[in-house]
Amino acid sequence: MATARPGWSRRAQYGLFFSFVAVIAGLVLGLIMLAVSLVSPSAYAGARGAALDATAPISSALHQVTATVEGLVGGAGDYWDAAHQNAALKRERRAMLQRMVEAKAILQENRQLKAALQLRERSTAAVASGRIVGSSLSSPRRFAILSVGSKDGVRAGMPVRAADGLIGRVVDVGNLASRVLLISDRSNIVPARMLRGGQPVISTGRGDGTVDLRPLEVGRNPFRPGDIVITSGTGGLYPPLVPIARVVRLDDDGAIAIPLADPANASFALVEQPYEPAASVNETEGGLTAAVPR
Amino acid sequence: MVRAALTQRRRIGQGPRTGAALIPAASVVAASLLTAIPVVSVSGWWPDFGFLALIGWRLLRSDPWPAWWAAPLGLVNDLITGAPIGLSVALWTAIMILLDLIDRRTIWRDYWIEWGLAALLLMVSESVEWWVVGLAGAPLPFHFILPPLVISIFAFPIAAWVVARLDRWRLGR
Repeated sequence: MATARPGWSRRAQYGLFFSFVAVIAGLVLGLIMLAVSLVSPSAYAGARGAALDATAPISSALHQVTATVEGLVGGAGDYWDAAHQNAALKRERRAMLQRMVEAKAILQENRQLKAALQLRERSTAAVASGRIVGSSLSSPRRFAILSVGSKDGVRAGMPVRAADGLIGRVVDVGNLASRVLLISDRSNIVPARMLRGGQPVISTGRGDGTVDLRPLEVGRNPFRPGDIVITSGTGGLYPPLVPIARVVRLDDDGAIAIPLADPANASFALVEQPYEPAASVNETEGGLTAAVPR
Repeated sequence: MVRAALTQRRRIGQGPRTGAALIPAASVVAASLLTAIPVVSVSGWWPDFGFLALIGWRLLRSDPWPAWWAAPLGLVNDLITGAPIGLSVALWTAIMILLDLIDRRTIWRDYWIEWGLAALLLMVSESVEWWVVGLAGAPLPFHFILPPLVISIFAFPIAAWVVARLDRWRLGR
């Protein structure tokens, strides 16, 4: 559609007409594809996996570069402020030593209490461990790219965690890489409970890196700033006792919290088996959709 | 000496690069691929590079590519960025048609009008994406898309500058 009036040339007129037909066809095709991807999100799983594989080498190769640059910048910054940092670290160390003794006592007490309660800690074997090499940069959705794929045994629907806490679950799998739905995504609902008191709550992403916490029972707002929320294992997808987030602000009947595992800084992420594989397909307890794999 | 300085630059041997007709489309794909850089964004406030390159080219020239190429370019963008497949296909093609219609009616254009038009297109794009994402199961309050929108609007001049430099380079000027 270069010009509105192509002149008397039949060839130019037909060319204009066919390009117009093509662009309308492109629009219709796009709308149909969009409708299909909204109705059945798994329809394009193959194409999405292939695209992940195509971009995975770029991300993985450049990850070394950015890690090195970050390391150099961070290292230079450390030298720049070495004297102050040294003093601050010494102060911190003194405080930490005291805290460590307290923590040891608490750990011992905890062990005794657990033995009394006969709690079993179910250890789930990790399927694979990878690095988070990228993320959705310009979307209201929060996805991260993980450097392991179906070659390493990763399947859609598996939970992903870092050392600090829960990261999310796998939604798209390629051979070499996979896409993870972060817990800060709006559609990621995690059944959780509070570490203090054990009251059941629900964590929903807010799309901007934070999560929204709501108590399951209506009543007084149970949260306090600084509260830690951990997974409850309800729904069968996420394993229990994984830290999720720390409360930073209260609102009228819930709280806003920051995930403990920062995907930008987590060096390694572990992909685990769904906590109860059978349950992750069937169970939708209380309208929780967190357990339904896409 | 003076005469040598006064003569014009040598223009022999300068002309469009080989494959100059493909460079605009290739640069849009390259811009989409910027999403693959290993930066982990917590808030998702980065501009949509592929879309910025697309409207940068289309506002600079009316003929960077045949209009229907927007559909395959959008498909590539969807696959790379992880957006719902078909979103950019439909949106980018619709914007090509819209800009062709606008081109027939505008009498004159300057940089401010172009920036305003780009801001409008970015707003349309972000709102449509927000609406589709809501349908796909992640409904957000509308004000969440305002910061990335403002960032995109201020990123457009940079994209337009890069595109203009690229256009001069590909045409050998």
